[in-house]
Amino acid sequence: MSGLWVQLRRELSAYFVSPLAYVVMVFFLAMTGYSFALVMEFFNRGPLDVSAGPAFFRTGLFWFPLLFSVPVLTMRLFAEEKRQGTIETLMTAPISDLSVVLSKFLAALVFYLLLWLPALCYVFVLRWVADDKTPLEWGTTLGSFGGVILIGSFYLSIGVFASSLTRNQIIAAVVAFALIIVAFFSGFRAFLQGSGWQQKVVEYISAFQHMDEWTRGIMDTRRIVFYLSLTAFMLFLTHKVVESRKWK
Amino acid sequence: MIKVENLTKRYAGFTAIDDVNFEVQKGEIVGFLGPNGAGKSTTMRILSCFMPASTGRASVAGFDVFEQSNEVRKRVGYMPESNPLYTEMRVNEYLHYRARLKQVPRRHRKDRIERVKEQCGLKEVERKIINHLSKGYKQRVGLADALVHDPDLLILDEPTIGLDPHQIRQVRELIKNLGKQHTILISTHILPEVEMTCNRVIIIHKGRIVASDTPANLTKHVKSGGATVIEVKGINPAVAEKQFWTIPGIQSVQSERVDDGYIRCTIFPNTNQDLREAVFEKAISNRWAIRELSRQRQSLEDIFVELTRGVKKQEEEEEA
Repeated sequence: MSGLWVQLRRELSAYFVSPLAYVVMVFFLAMTGYSFALVMEFFNRGPLDVSAGPAFFRTGLFWFPLLFSVPVLTMRLFAEEKRQGTIETLMTAPISDLSVVLSKFLAALVFYLLLWLPALCYVFVLRWVADDKTPLEWGTTLGSFGGVILIGSFYLSIGVFASSLTRNQIIAAVVAFALIIVAFFSGFRAFLQGSGWQQKVVEYISAFQHMDEWTRGIMDTRRIVFYLSLTAFMLFLTHKVVESRKWK
Repeated sequence: MIKVENLTKRYAGFTAIDDVNFEVQKGEIVGFLGPNGAGKSTTMRILSCFMPASTGRASVAGFDVFEQSNEVRKRVGYMPESNPLYTEMRVNEYLHYRARLKQVPRRHRKDRIERVKEQCGLKEVERKIINHLSKGYKQRVGLADALVHDPDLLILDEPTIGLDPHQIRQVRELIKNLGKQHTILISTHILPEVEMTCNRVIIIHKGRIVASDTPANLTKHVKSGGATVIEVKGINPAVAEKQFWTIPGIQSVQSERVDDGYIRCTIFPNTNQDLREAVFEKAISNRWAIRELSRQRQSLEDIFVELTRGVKKQEEEEEA
């Protein structure tokens, strides 16, 4: 397991020497910042029937950067190792395949969390300017960020999986994006044809609805298990793909 | 150090190596020689635990490459064919990362890294980004990485490919020096390289081992080797040929006119015997002026061509 830690450090530092990471950071900060500014402006105009948390997380300005930045963060992870051939020096070092998969996923997750770190400022700003602090309980804040982490882990694991399939970063990004979009939009069928069992199924898988629950401070363990197990499943698939060189 | 038994690797549709057996003793520098696609890289990838064989067994330092892969990995320094590196890292940074990954204990790490930088001549570029280095230096970084955990066995896949003659000489020199402390398996398709660096050669062709011996012994074994060449003045070629035919054990004689009235005769013996003395006596007794007398050295190249041709013939016969 020491290999995991060494490799995690290497993967993280690799993010910071690539200009792409900084581009993603700026894009992300701009989008979430704009989203926050909009929410503030609406509240300035008069009372709304939602609180700040759900208002922020419901807009496209939250989902759009999330869905776009994940494939960009993960596309390099395995594809570049394969293209450069460094996969060979990595996989012949005394480190297990599983440690390699986990280190790459965790590095992406840490970077993703760094993207979200500035968003914590919004909470402080809001608490500072608002007279009524009740809609900004720490519970709802924690719930929101918990949701961001859980949904993010799942999407990142999809990205890691896509990257393990190819030696081309662009293909890895496109495949990841396609899979994430499918996962995300399958949760929207509720609005299109919502009745009976279909609605029930969609309720289980809709990231949009889950996020809405979390921002209101509803902690449903079913959702937590759902995302954790999906993440584990995607990482399991990735592990099998990495291992597949041994069966070919 | 290495023991390979009945090793076979099949990819979908073709067999890369077929029932290969060989052993490498501790301290040997063994050259793995073969044309492109002969199965050199496949064998090395199996030995370095990158992928397992289809059937057969291989072990390094007594550990099975599949069952005890982690033990093998700690004892093998492997440099793949294209020398892949994380080119965005600095030399120091990269070696530190690799040393940690290869579980070099913290208290030895600094010393080991300093040592391999010295061995590989990387001191003056230690702070540079790998991408900015010349190909020769990159190759040395790859070697330093392979060495950093002080492995018992070094597996180097085409370590001099793509280098200029000067760099090739440096890398060869380096490998020779490393051979004093490590067992080395080195693959190449450049023959002089093997002759210069290795004390044993394994020739592999189409996934099968066709010969395994010292370069000197291989040269001896080749039939009809070692023609003698002499350049003499003052006679016409036909007369000279007739005279040389009187030497016992001659297979054939060729002669041609060269410049300044000299003729050049090439005398082939029946067996691998040395004809120089007899040829010299013949020229002296006829009072011919000699300006050159030499024996053609049978190069590994000839052996290689002969051996691989033999395999081809066999295959053609089998097909017929």
